[in-house]
Amino acid sequence: MSVAIEISFTLNGRLVSARIPPTMKTLTMLRDRFGLSGTKYACGEGECGACTIRVDGKTQNSCLMFAADCDGRDIVTIEGLKTPTGMNPVQKAFVEHGAVQCGFCMPGMIMQADYLIANNPHLTRQEAQRGLEGNLCRCTGYTKVLDAVESAVEQKCCGQC
Amino acid sequence: MQEITSYLAPRSLDEALQAMATGDVTVFCGGTDLAPQTEAGVRRYSTRLMNIRRIENLDGIEEKDGVIRIGALTTISEIRRHPLIAGAAPILAEAAEHFASDQIRNVASIGGNICNASPAGDMINPLLVLDAAVELASWADGAQQKRRVPLEHFFTSPQRTVKRADELLTSVTFRKPAADFVGRFRKSGPRPALEISTVSVGVGGNFSGGVLRNARVAFGSVAPTPLRARHVEAALEGCKLNADVISAALVAARSDAKPIDDVRASAWYRSHLLEVFLEEVLHHVRGN
Amino acid sequence: MEQKVTASTIEKKSLIGQRIKKPDAPDKATGKTRYINDMVLPQMLHGKVLFAGRPHARIVRIDTAAAARLPGVHAVLTGKDTAGLNFGFVRDNVPLKNIVRCEHDEIAAVAAESEDVARQALKLIEVEYEDLPGVFTPEAGAKADAPLIRDNFPGNKSLSFEFRHGDVAAAEAASDFIVDSVFRPHHVTHCCMGTSCAIADFDDNGKLTIWTQTQYPYNYKMDLAPALGIQPGDIRVIQPPVGGAFGSKLDVYPYEPIAALLAKKTGRPVKVMYSREEEFKASPTRQPAIIHMRTGCRRDGTLTFRTADVLLDNGAYTSWGPTIPVIMMRTTSGHYRVPVVDFKAQAIYTNNPYAGSFRGYGNVQTTYATAQQMDMLADMVDLDPLEFHIKNAQKSGEITPQKSFLRECVLAECLETAAKASDYSKKRKEYAALRGAPGRFKKGIGLASSIHNAGGAKIHKSDGIGTILKVDDYARVTVITGASEIGQGIDAVITLIVAEELGVPLEHVTLVNNDSDIAPWDVGVHASRTTFIAGNGTRRAARKAKAQILQAAEKFFGEPADTLELRGGSVVREQCGTPLIKLDRLLRQMHFQDEPELVMVTDYYEPKSEPEGAAHLSDHSAAYSHAVHIAEITVDTLTGEIRVDRVTVAQDVGRVINRLGLEGQVEGGIAIGLGYALSENMQLERGILKNSCFRDYKLITAPEMPPLEMHFIESDCAEGPYGAKGVSELPTIVIAPAIANALYNATGVRIFDPPLAPEKVARAIAEMRQRKL
Repeated sequence: MSVAIEISFTLNGRLVSARIPPTMKTLTMLRDRFGLSGTKYACGEGECGACTIRVDGKTQNSCLMFAADCDGRDIVTIEGLKTPTGMNPVQKAFVEHGAVQCGFCMPGMIMQADYLIANNPHLTRQEAQRGLEGNLCRCTGYTKVLDAVESAVEQKCCGQC
Repeated sequence: MQEITSYLAPRSLDEALQAMATGDVTVFCGGTDLAPQTEAGVRRYSTRLMNIRRIENLDGIEEKDGVIRIGALTTISEIRRHPLIAGAAPILAEAAEHFASDQIRNVASIGGNICNASPAGDMINPLLVLDAAVELASWADGAQQKRRVPLEHFFTSPQRTVKRADELLTSVTFRKPAADFVGRFRKSGPRPALEISTVSVGVGGNFSGGVLRNARVAFGSVAPTPLRARHVEAALEGCKLNADVISAALVAARSDAKPIDDVRASAWYRSHLLEVFLEEVLHHVRGN
Repeated sequence: MEQKVTASTIEKKSLIGQRIKKPDAPDKATGKTRYINDMVLPQMLHGKVLFAGRPHARIVRIDTAAAARLPGVHAVLTGKDTAGLNFGFVRDNVPLKNIVRCEHDEIAAVAAESEDVARQALKLIEVEYEDLPGVFTPEAGAKADAPLIRDNFPGNKSLSFEFRHGDVAAAEAASDFIVDSVFRPHHVTHCCMGTSCAIADFDDNGKLTIWTQTQYPYNYKMDLAPALGIQPGDIRVIQPPVGGAFGSKLDVYPYEPIAALLAKKTGRPVKVMYSREEEFKASPTRQPAIIHMRTGCRRDGTLTFRTADVLLDNGAYTSWGPTIPVIMMRTTSGHYRVPVVDFKAQAIYTNNPYAGSFRGYGNVQTTYATAQQMDMLADMVDLDPLEFHIKNAQKSGEITPQKSFLRECVLAECLETAAKASDYSKKRKEYAALRGAPGRFKKGIGLASSIHNAGGAKIHKSDGIGTILKVDDYARVTVITGASEIGQGIDAVITLIVAEELGVPLEHVTLVNNDSDIAPWDVGVHASRTTFIAGNGTRRAARKAKAQILQAAEKFFGEPADTLELRGGSVVREQCGTPLIKLDRLLRQMHFQDEPELVMVTDYYEPKSEPEGAAHLSDHSAAYSHAVHIAEITVDTLTGEIRVDRVTVAQDVGRVINRLGLEGQVEGGIAIGLGYALSENMQLERGILKNSCFRDYKLITAPEMPPLEMHFIESDCAEGPYGAKGVSELPTIVIAPAIANALYNATGVRIFDPPLAPEKVARAIAEMRQRKL
C-alpha cells in the first residue's frame, strides 16, 4: 500500500483535514471525501475546466491538482461561492441571463468567471472570452455566458464607482 | 500500480536535492503535465513523490548584472504579466499569452514546461530565441552542486533531457536583450490558446539599419525536440532583411525541420506552416 | 356566496415571448444539483467495462478467474453471460460480445467496491484474440469480396431506403444547368459534458430501477428489456439531471444493460460511468455518409430535379444512425421546391464506431449538400442569388413530393430578412470579385437554409404526450409530464404556459417529469418536438383545469364562467379585471364543499400528423419550419484558418414562447454546428479512434464564438402552442454549409468533406493556386 498523507486546509472557509493517498487528485478528494459534488469531472486532464476551483485566490483545474498539495491552503469550490444571503452576483447573473442549460460545466465556468471579475473590475467581453477559453460548454455557445459576465461586471463597477 | 512509499514537500532546496540524491523520485510542481500523463499511463510514478512547489526562493523573476533569472517555480501567469518580462523579453510574454488556459497558466511552472521536454512546449521556443540556459542543481559531497546547460543542448528526444535523475532544474537565465533586440513568436491557431502547437516559430536578434545580427531562430513541433534552426540563422546573420534574404531563410528552414505526420497535422502542413510563420515573423521583425 | 371585492383590478399580462429563466438554474449555478454522475447509493458497487481495443476479431479464450478472485470484486460477466440477450434496432447488439466488431466492443464487465478495484480487475482479465480482416469504409464493405461482418447480412447490407417522385430523365433533359457532386460528411460525437452513466438496482420482486440519462423514458423500457431478458413493465426509469444529451441518449447503449446485469448478479446497486476517453470511444457518433447529389435547374432559375444516392457507414451495430435517411429524404425532396426527386440510401456494416441520433439527425448531412448545391447553381444562373433562392422557396399551403404540408411557410421572408440584415447580395458580389486579388486574408459571405420538422415526427405509432396537472389547496400547480428535461429548457416552457393559462406566479409551478412510474407517456426529446408537443399537452391540461375552476367560480358567484378569467392568482371578471376571489381560497372552497372536488386533470395530446409509413409519403410532422443562416468569415489563405466574424440568423419559430430559452437553443445549436463545420473530427485509423480527448477533438471555445444576429420570424403555426414551432435542430443544421459557401465566396475553394479544418483548407487553396500556375 502506498503511504497515506495527512493534510489540513481551509475549505470554503472552514478548517478541514483528510488522510489521502499521494496520487489522489483534489477533484476526487472534494467529491468523494467531502461530498462536494458541485465540482465536476468531465475530462480529467485540464482541457475542459468543469473542475475549476480557487486555490489561494487563483483558479486551477482540480483534476490536475494533487490533493496533497492542498495542505495549508485556502480552497474555495462552487459551494463556497454562495453568500449568506444566497447566490453571489455572478451566479445570479448566470441565472438571469439564461447562461445555464444542462448546467454541468457551470460550476467551473462560474468559478472562472468569478475569478476573472474579481481580478479585473473592468473586464471586457473580449477579455472574458479569453479568460474562459479553458472552460468548455456544449449547450450554450457561450453567448449567454458572456452576457452574464458583462452584466456582472457592470453591476460590480456600478457598486464601486 | 506503483506503490508510493513517501510523499515529500520540502521547503528548502537542500532538502529536495538530498532526497533526490538517491534517485527514484518523481518531481512535480503544478502537476499539470504529470497528472494527465500518469493517469493516461504514459508515465509511471517512482516510489517517492516530491512536490517542489513549496521550496523557498525558487520562484520569481529578477534581473542581476544584465542577466534575467526566472525561478523554476514561476508560473506562466506570472511570466505573462511580469513588468520585467514585458519590458525586456516580450517574446516570452507573447508565448505565455498563448499557453494552455488561464487555469493551467495559474499553476504550470516554467521549470515544468521545460523539463516536460515536449517538442511543442510553448515556453521553450522563445527561451531558445533568448539563448537561455538552465541551471541544474544536485547534491554531492555534502553540498549543492550546480551546472549550467544551454537550453539548446538540454533536450535529447521527446520527453528526454540531459538532466540526471538526481538533478533539479532550479532556474532559467538569459542575458537581458539589448535595446535593439527584436523577438517575435508565432504558433498555430485557430484558437488563441488551449492548443497544442502544430508548429511554432520564434525569431530574435539585434535589428538595426534593416540588418539582423545575432540572429536566433527556434522551431517547435517540427522535430523530436524543440530546436535552434541553425541553417536559417546562417541565412539571416548579418543580412539586410529583404525579400531575397527572407526567401533564402525559407529555403534554409527545410534543412532544419524534420516534421512528421501525426494526429494533429501532416508533415506537409507542418512544413507549409513553418514557412508561412517564418516569413510572417521575419516580416514583423523587418516592420519593427 | 357573494364576495365583496375591494381590491383594484388585475390586468392581463401575457408571458408569451418573455424572457423566463430556467427554474433549475439556481441549483445548477450553486453546484447543488445532483447529476446522475454525482449520485451515490448505499451499498453501491462500481461497474467497469473491458473494451476490445481492436476492430474485428474472434475471442479465442477469455479467462476472468484472476479478476474474480481480486478482493473487492463482486461479479465478472462476459459474452457467455449475455448470449441471446439481443437488443437494438435490428437486434444486432448484445451487452457483452463473443465476437469483436468494433474498437469499443464490450468484452467483459466487473462490479467492485470501488472504481479503482474494478479497473485493476479489468487488467487481470486475459483475452486471446484472433484478429479478422476489417472493413473501414462503406465502399470497401459493399465490395463483393469484402469480409463479412455478420453472417445474416449478406453484402454487409444493413438498412436501405428509397423514394422516387416524377420522371428524372425528363427533368434532366429539361434542365439547363446540373450540379453533380459527392459530399462526405464525417464522424463527430456529442461530447456531453457529463459522461455516460447509469445506475441499476433490482428489488427482490425482480423489478429493475434504472437511473439513466435517457431522453426517451418510455420506449427505453421496451428497448432495454430484451437486453436483460425481462419485461418492459418490470423496469422503472428515473431520470436525474443530466450533463447534456443532444440525441446521444435516444437509444439503449450497452453500458446500461451491463449495469443492470451486474446489479442482478450482485443484488446491489451498480453504477457504470465512463471516463472521457471511454466516452469518446464508446458513445454514438453522428452518422457519416457519402452523398452523391445532383440538382438541376432551368435558365430562369427554376429547380427541375434533385437526386441523392447515399451510402452510409453503418458501423458495427445498428442504432439510430442508419435510419437518418428518413429525414435525409425529406430534405432532399423538400429543401426548396423540387418537383422531381430520386433518393436512395444504403447502409453498409463496417468495423467503425456506430452512429446514433444527434441534433439535426440526418439533416446536418443532407443540408451540407443541398445548401451548397443551391449556392453552386446560383452562380450558374443569371440571377441575383437571393432572387434565385426566393424563386424556389415554397409558400404557405404547398405540399412537398413526400406530402409534407407546409401550412405556414415563411422561407422567403427568412431569406429576405437575413439577406437584408447582412447586405448579402452586395457583399457576395464584392468578395467574389476580390477572390483573385492579392492579399493573404480573404473575406467571404455564405448563405444557407434548410427545412426541418417542427411539430414532432411521427416515426413511432404515436408522437403524443400525456400530462397530469393538479392545482392544490394552496393554488400551487404540479405538472406531471412525460417531457424530459435534458438542459434544453422545457421546464421553463411548461412553467410559463401554466402561469399564462392559470394566472399563477411562475414560482408556484412544479414539474415532475423524471420517473416513469409516475409521469405518463411521451415519445422523448427528439425531432425538435418538445416545446410543440409538451407545450400543447400542458396548455390543454391547464385549460381543462381552468375550465373546472371557472365552473366552480360560476357556481359560487353566479357569474358565467365565460366572463371570468384567472389572473394574478385570482379569479377576475375578464372584461374589467375586477378580482372575485383569490385562487387558493377558491380551491379550498371547492375542496371542502358538500360535493367536494379536487382540481386534478389529465390530458393526452396526439399531434395531427401522419405516421411516416413504409412509402415515406405522409405529412409526418404537425409543422415544418425553415431557417436561413448567413455566415461572414475571414480566411487566412496561407494557414487555412477560418474566423467566423458574424452570423445572421432568420428562423421561423412560429411564435416565441420563452425568448431567453429560444435564443439559448439557437446559440448553442450554432456552436455545435460550428464545431462540425470547422474543427470536430473523429480521426479513425482502421477503426481505431486516435483523438479521444478534448485536446485533439476540438470543440468550439468561447473566443471562437462569433457574434450572432438573430431574427425570429413568427409564422403563427395553427397547430402549435400559441403558434409556436419546434426550434432546436435547425441552428445546428444550417451553419456548416453557410460557412462552406462563404469559404467558396472568399477563395473559390469548395470543400465537400467537412470539417473545414485549417490544414484541409490550406491544402485546397495551395492546390488550387498550383493548378492556376
